[in-house]
Amino acid sequence: MKLVAEVGVGTVAAGVAKAHSDVILISGHDGGTGASPQTSIKHAGLPWELGLAEAHQVLVRNGLRDRVVLQTDGMLRTGRDIAIAAMLGAEEWGVATAALVVMGCIMMRKCHLNTCPVGVATQDPELRKEFKGRPEHVETFFRFLAQDLREQMAALGFRTVDEMVGRADRLAPRKGITHWKARTLKLENLLHRLDVGSHGQFCCTAQDHGLDTALDNELLKMAASTLRDKSPMQAEIRLRNVNRTVGTILSSEITRRFGPDALPEDTVRIKATGTAGQSFMAFGVQGVTMEIEGEANDYFGKGLSGGKLILYPPKASTFDPVDNVIVGNVSFYGATSGEAYIMGKAGERFCVRNSGAKVVVESVGDHGCEYMTGGRVVILGDIGRNFAAGMSGGVAYLLENDKTRSRVNPAMVALEEVVDAEDLIELKELIERHAEYTGSKRALDLLARWPEAAKSFVKVMPVDYKRALREQAAAVAAVGGRS
Amino acid sequence: MGKDTGFKEFPRKAFGYKPAEERVKSYEEFVVPPSEKELGEQGARCMNCGVPFCHSGCPLGNIIPDFNDHVYRGKWGRAYESLRSTNNFPEVTGRICPAPCESACVLGITHPPVAIKTIELAVIERAWKDGAVVARPPRERTGMRVAVVGSGPAGLAAADQLNDAGHTVVVYERAEKVGGLMRYGIPDFKLPKDVVQRRVDIMAAEGVEFRTNAHVGANVPVSELRNGYDAVVLAGGSTLPRDLILPGREGAGVHPAMEFLSQNNHRVSGLPGLRNQRGDEIAEILATGKNVLVIGGGDTGSDCVGTSIRQKAKSVLQIELLPKPPDGRTDRTPWPTHPGPAMLSTSSSQAEGCTRDWSVGSKEILRDAGGKVVGVRAVRLDWSAGKPVEIEGSEYVIPAELVLLAMGFLSPEQKGLLEELGVEKDERGNVKTQNYATSVPGIFSAGDMRRGQSLVVWAISEGREAARSVDAYLRGSRSLLAAKSGSLCQA
Repeated sequence: MKLVAEVGVGTVAAGVAKAHSDVILISGHDGGTGASPQTSIKHAGLPWELGLAEAHQVLVRNGLRDRVVLQTDGMLRTGRDIAIAAMLGAEEWGVATAALVVMGCIMMRKCHLNTCPVGVATQDPELRKEFKGRPEHVETFFRFLAQDLREQMAALGFRTVDEMVGRADRLAPRKGITHWKARTLKLENLLHRLDVGSHGQFCCTAQDHGLDTALDNELLKMAASTLRDKSPMQAEIRLRNVNRTVGTILSSEITRRFGPDALPEDTVRIKATGTAGQSFMAFGVQGVTMEIEGEANDYFGKGLSGGKLILYPPKASTFDPVDNVIVGNVSFYGATSGEAYIMGKAGERFCVRNSGAKVVVESVGDHGCEYMTGGRVVILGDIGRNFAAGMSGGVAYLLENDKTRSRVNPAMVALEEVVDAEDLIELKELIERHAEYTGSKRALDLLARWPEAAKSFVKVMPVDYKRALREQAAAVAAVGGRS
Repeated sequence: MGKDTGFKEFPRKAFGYKPAEERVKSYEEFVVPPSEKELGEQGARCMNCGVPFCHSGCPLGNIIPDFNDHVYRGKWGRAYESLRSTNNFPEVTGRICPAPCESACVLGITHPPVAIKTIELAVIERAWKDGAVVARPPRERTGMRVAVVGSGPAGLAAADQLNDAGHTVVVYERAEKVGGLMRYGIPDFKLPKDVVQRRVDIMAAEGVEFRTNAHVGANVPVSELRNGYDAVVLAGGSTLPRDLILPGREGAGVHPAMEFLSQNNHRVSGLPGLRNQRGDEIAEILATGKNVLVIGGGDTGSDCVGTSIRQKAKSVLQIELLPKPPDGRTDRTPWPTHPGPAMLSTSSSQAEGCTRDWSVGSKEILRDAGGKVVGVRAVRLDWSAGKPVEIEGSEYVIPAELVLLAMGFLSPEQKGLLEELGVEKDERGNVKTQNYATSVPGIFSAGDMRRGQSLVVWAISEGREAARSVDAYLRGSRSLLAAKSGSLCQA
């Protein structure tokens, strides 16, 4: 868990430690990418020293420190920096800018412009020729850094880093700082060492992630024959919201045994009833179909990798699914393939960074399809604001209403009518499957009025994606003509 | 800040020179500036670096990416305002600075650096042409008086800054005209004297008082400074030349470079008499028709070469004790250092037709019966051991009727001013200071007199920084004059 150094970071750190985080990184304001806006570089964030001291003290005081690794970064460059970081409570440290400089980075802050003149952060072949860094430079730098740290430790009388972690009592403010801004600083709290006896000052026990109690252990038992010989199976389970990342261990086991695309569609069919916890079917693979009658929390289908998800409200419910949220935020984040059919409304950041999944849903919240690069999304109702921001690939079909156009971020996409024959076939197929899997009333209504209903759809198409597809088609046609 | 891809699109183009055979016919300036379009492209080459090393490469901390960007966008007025905020005399540095900023330019790692000096000169000359350089007297006077001794670049920069801060400034100059080294050292063909005078005129219009022919410690009593002013800035330069102690040194025709150069500047400016930079009448030194030997391979030596060629010398040879430096940067002079003499450079004067030789030691100055110089007995040196070893049997005679000694300067003159004031000096004889304040309260020092011989750009920087120190002393609080960027530790 990466946390920004700021007031109150200790409370957040304690929270994530309780939530079984293995590593907590306190990130300071000083380093960072050269692509950041100048204003952020100059004015955002606080020194890592402040955040680290607070996080360490809160973790120690609450007996949480010994089960998380505390890291810090933000322009650590010397053995002295690292020694101070260790004494304020970090046992691991990130050194990035200095290592880049060793490779020839001159901090141009042009990482985002493709004009890095020393070839570090650019794709321009001419400029990449200017890259003069060698692996040995970095290796030597880290050897020097380690040596510098050893010298600091020797001067302080520490034999190991473990001894040094949390020894803020060995730090003292430099004498004779006369700058007027330093006058009001009180560093006592920062340099306070908590001596709490049995509680560790650094990570010495592993977090208990409770994997042995995960629902997937049951799923693995149920799928034992499938895991042996790929034979199809069906099962029914009950879900509660404490069941997180259901289907993920199962998917990983399938991949481990057979490879990622080895199982035919619907080999494993699980019908679940209840409320899915976070990250349901994260990274779920091909051949696994999960059907939920109920609802789901955040990160539903995160990183979906070929699996199929079907979600609809309890059959007995009386509300209109179009107006009721059935799945939380950030579903299908970074999905790469697979399909999903959701009868109901999804939360915010739907299908962000989707690169290949095909998803049908009845409506979505804000920032839908942000940074999407591939795949298909069909939305049979409202969208939230800032739809398709930074969307550079894939296609979204929206059932248009009076708010649709004003809510699409037009920076990278254009809205078109759905007239192309291939598009119409694709759209209809997706809606048909949605109706078949979920029994969606809205899908059935649309199909009843097809093809007239197709006129109510609008196609969201990234402008550059369209140009690239056209050029690709032209190139293929040219090659075909010659052969 | 230029154009993101400018450095990939446009090659470097600095100002050009008129052909050598044409320019040696007169003492006129021979710089050919690029066209306005070309200048815009040169500005576009600036990369707006995240860490612009040119800022720190420049002793003045010129805000170089700023004015590059303005020139790229055609905003010449803004470019001038940026330039003048850190540099009192861009028309001088734009002409004669060796441009350590360009050595530090980040583009220089992989490409020829941005033509910063060319852009600087274009910006300031355009400002003069457009009438943007006008007298801006201070709104209020503090009522305090400061004397500046010496009117070279350090003295003038200090005077300009202190006047701007509202103090009443009087500049003492022992020579007839204001400008010091800029007036009497640098030849006209590199720095025309009307360029110096128009700046002096602006400063006079802003209220700076100039007293020429006023040699403090000679015809002006030191007590006048102590009693008449609230503070004094010593900026008399490093004027004692390093001499060559050899048999025959007293021969007729052996002269320190500065005698030769300043006399010629007197001559070109039509000033009466044959005087040196101190204003003393000296015998005429002319290279016309003579074989000239310049001993010393630095900037002053170059000026002797160009001046000798314009005086129609028969031949000009410049020799240097040290070995020939490498053509480019080496591991000892990596970017962003300014390699200076550690890298071979050819000045415009040397390109006008002089022979250069390195690893040459002088043994004796040869004279004819009448005591006139006829040549120098020299020897080749072997530097392979890191120190000069004479190569046996390599002695030879260089025929020369005029020998000019351009081997640098040792220290300020000690007699008179410095001794009477009783300021402490460092081991080299320069004035010892702390934050530009000498050991005597109220007396400050700047420029070569304090740091030893150096560049004009350093002198301007020293003058500015010393002015801050003086201003803080006079106000009894922090100076509000512009400061060079510094870290919190220095604040």
